[in-house]
Amino acid sequence: MKCYICAKEGRSTDAVAICIVCGMGTCMEHTIRQELDVWEGGYPFPAHKVGTTIPRMLCPDCAAALRKG
Amino acid sequence: MVSLAKRCCAEITGTFLLVFFGAGAAAMTLMLARGTTPATPFNIGIGALGGLADWLAIGLAFGFALMASIYALGRVSGAHLNPAVTIALWVTRRFPGTDTGAYIVSQLIGGALASFIFAACAGMDAVTIGGLGATAPFPGITYGQAILAEAVGTFILVLAIMGAAVDERAPAGIAGMAIGLTLAGVITTTGNIAGASLNPARTFGPYLGDWLLGGANLWGYFPIYIIGPVLGAVVAAFVYDYLWK
Repeated sequence: MKCYICAKEGRSTDAVAICIVCGMGTCMEHTIRQELDVWEGGYPFPAHKVGTTIPRMLCPDCAAALRKG
Repeated sequence: MVSLAKRCCAEITGTFLLVFFGAGAAAMTLMLARGTTPATPFNIGIGALGGLADWLAIGLAFGFALMASIYALGRVSGAHLNPAVTIALWVTRRFPGTDTGAYIVSQLIGGALASFIFAACAGMDAVTIGGLGATAPFPGITYGQAILAEAVGTFILVLAIMGAAVDERAPAGIAGMAIGLTLAGVITTTGNIAGASLNPARTFGPYLGDWLLGGANLWGYFPIYIIGPVLGAVVAAFVYDYLWK
């Protein structure tokens, strides 16, 4: 699979990841890796953040859309 | 986990909501029923307008306030809002003893603030006629009967908390509704025995407000609302553990 964004720019770059939201293949340059906090617990105990995080890969467009909410 | 100070703020806020709306509904019912002639000596005003529906309305006010507090604050502090619940979770080793005292003090502060602010909103009739929704044994009910009623009511409430929230096998998301409606049901049935406080903080606020604002001095009844709820809550927590382990 090739990077979709590079392909649109006329370049041919191998994709190293797939955006978890839109499924776009992205190269290292166009892949955004986010670390999501994981919370455990809740009523009737206070929730607490666990030590590990969950990674996710996004393309720049989806990352920007999620940031805007 | 957020700091103990923030969790205490959440406990103050949640108990405030519970007592302002729940005990406030009881006070408002008495104010609305002023001047009516009770059908029986067992009726002090709550029940004069709509019979058991008066208690259902008060129970739902408590239930909705508890439900909202659980969904809003449950992840912050655990939304105990009740010293009996905090003590039951502590004695069954689910809640740290180092935080227990701070939670109980916060709950008492929240209950007291609610009573004073309700009096400020509704006026002195809320104190002199509504008694700020304070609980006391109804005519003909002995001290022992009142403790028993409070213990049984809190037993059911804490059993629901154990099954719907503490147990990790419980379905997610239903705890607030299940526990709020349980509280409403218990109040509807046992309210006319001893007020169905089920919560020392819920009784502490109106007692303090009445005492300081020129209303009745009811402190002699306060042990009922400590012994009954704490006993019922602790027994419920141990019974639930016994049934499942």
